[in-house]
Amino acid sequence: MKLFSKKTKKALIIGIDGVPHSLLSTYIKNGIMPNLKKILSQGFALHQMNASIPDISSVSWTSFATGVNPGEHGIYGFTDLRPQSYSLYFPNSKDRKAPTFWELLGKTADTTSSLSQQYLSKINRSYRSIVLNMPHTYPAYPMNGILVSGFVAIDLKKATYPDSAFTYLSRMGYLIDVAAEKAKEDKAAFMKSLFECFEVRKKAISHFFTQEPWDLFFACITETDRLHHFFFDASTDKENPYYQSFLRFYAELDNWIQTLYNDFVHLSDGKGLFVILSDHGFAPIKKEVYINQFLKEKGLLFLRDEGDFYERIENKTTAFNLDPCRIYIHDKMAYPNGRIRREEKAEVLTKIKEALKALKEDGNPVIDRIYQKEEIYHGSQTERAPDLVCLPNEGYDLKGSLEKNRIFSDSPFKGMHTWHDACCVLPDHIAISKKPSVENLTDYILQYYS
Amino acid sequence: MDHLTRLENKSIYIIREAYYQFKDIAMLWSVGKDSTTMLWLCRKAFFGHIPFPIIHIDTSYKFPEMYRFRDERVKEWNLDLLIGRNEEKLNEGMGPTQGSKLDCCNELKTNALKLVIKKYHLKAILLGIRRDEHGIRAKERYFSPRDSQFKWDYENQPAELWDQYQSMVEEEEHFRIHPILHFTELDVWSYVKREGLPIVPLYFSKNGKRFRSIGCAPCCSPIDSNAQTIDEIVEEIRTTKTSERSGRAQDKENIYTMQKLRALGYM
Repeated sequence: MKLFSKKTKKALIIGIDGVPHSLLSTYIKNGIMPNLKKILSQGFALHQMNASIPDISSVSWTSFATGVNPGEHGIYGFTDLRPQSYSLYFPNSKDRKAPTFWELLGKTADTTSSLSQQYLSKINRSYRSIVLNMPHTYPAYPMNGILVSGFVAIDLKKATYPDSAFTYLSRMGYLIDVAAEKAKEDKAAFMKSLFECFEVRKKAISHFFTQEPWDLFFACITETDRLHHFFFDASTDKENPYYQSFLRFYAELDNWIQTLYNDFVHLSDGKGLFVILSDHGFAPIKKEVYINQFLKEKGLLFLRDEGDFYERIENKTTAFNLDPCRIYIHDKMAYPNGRIRREEKAEVLTKIKEALKALKEDGNPVIDRIYQKEEIYHGSQTERAPDLVCLPNEGYDLKGSLEKNRIFSDSPFKGMHTWHDACCVLPDHIAISKKPSVENLTDYILQYYS
Repeated sequence: MDHLTRLENKSIYIIREAYYQFKDIAMLWSVGKDSTTMLWLCRKAFFGHIPFPIIHIDTSYKFPEMYRFRDERVKEWNLDLLIGRNEEKLNEGMGPTQGSKLDCCNELKTNALKLVIKKYHLKAILLGIRRDEHGIRAKERYFSPRDSQFKWDYENQPAELWDQYQSMVEEEEHFRIHPILHFTELDVWSYVKREGLPIVPLYFSKNGKRFRSIGCAPCCSPIDSNAQTIDEIVEEIRTTKTSERSGRAQDKENIYTMQKLRALGYM
């Protein structure tokens, strides 16, 4: 019996966390990624792509997984406040309000979205997906196939569906993520650990790729993002002690993509859908910018000494910030001690926007764009969205910390996320009319199966 | 050889080898059932008298029953007890409601342990963690020392043996050794029964509730249970479907999540 019929549709999607379009183009040009260059010459195009807003992995990958904007899927960051409270929590899969593409393909979705409405009747059977190391899907819910959650996932067992996949992963020494907290102590050891983590991830990916039946295969590499956070200064600087290691990582990535791609072409008889994407770009950091300290200095935020995180907010507070730059108005209707009335809100927003626009470091404006929630978010979860979201000028890493007493400081990190410079590789025949966003790609994938 | 004896032999072998390799070694004792089991195994390994110190990290927020139990055993078993307290932070009023729980754990546990390790120049610590425990302990592994000179990581599982206890220790200058990694929760209780080991009474049911896992009083909650004897506990665990640390799991997960986010600058 043949395991795979030639008529079945197959898709391979590779996620490369935090890989910027600009760097990837450079490495392709410079011969550091010859295999990817070759793949691109066989009917694919590399595009620059916009990440989600804010441009962090939890939001961007959720936008890709669901194909809708945060106003629909409801994930705005790694942290959020519970409704009508100051209590910080860590939203994750259970808080996602829109179905993912593997739930739609597997016909296991129990929620709907604007995208799922379009495909409910078009997808005519249940497709089996293998989704490995997808960020922000913890805990892993039952689905048709295999799901292994990526960052932030704490307990591998809860991060894995079904149990048989957990048994395999725990035996082979799978790592959800490198221990980023170790990077400060020993950078060389941390660099080594990135390669080790990549090795074990490749091994797990290869196992599921070859040993399991599937219609759609997704695998994400997180190590690129970690590499960039701690070593982005080494990406193009020949003098940097980690330059060679940085290039070697990309060379290994290139080899791995090539191997997986070749196996896929073989498996799908050259007729499958092949996609690569990243969830945001990266750029060097000049300064970290603590927006809450900025709000404090403007007399808009007051914090008590007692309490956990946002429980410290005093009644007279006007606005506060959650990481990276999600500004919430201390609305009378939305918070227990809120003081801003609905009719005052427009004026307060204008005032904060003006102040943010005027924020400068060493003469350079810090903020590039400021959006009000209604401008960028659409859907049932928009009400919970931050009132203002900012994108910084390159080099200014906006932060949500409540504990800083200066607005600017040097960063312990070497790279920061960028919104405009994520990337994707798509087949040539997919016509791109304008610059794609991360949530657009899902539509192409579902189209392929409909 | 029966199952429990096999487990016991394996642990005793690890404990003896650890002591042979490191003279500057100590054992971490939380007073809970697992590390009390390990303490008992250490006594057996050295025929009644443990030749290294026993560290108790005292956050000052432990249950009174735990302090009482600790002091009774120290006397009865003639233990060389070292108490690790972060006095500076305790004097500043650090507690689970004072700062964040993450800071509280970091200061009163992690840093308290660091202080003890530094003060007594310890090179290795024995820890009573188990592989079947909540995954944040058992699965979140750091990297095994590849060029380790230790030949006794038998079964060819160095990564498992050196499994990291990430929230506890950040310094890499000492080794962590896990002699009861291969015990399950059920094994521990069966072993406690077989050996007639004394155990903190909080584990037994009182008014329909008992603690399945104990730590600091403000951060632990009891489970619904009528198990008043070890036999009843064994039966309960044999049939239960909820996780051992369910009373602590969410808090713990949140603490780990915060650590992960902080390490990447997201908090």
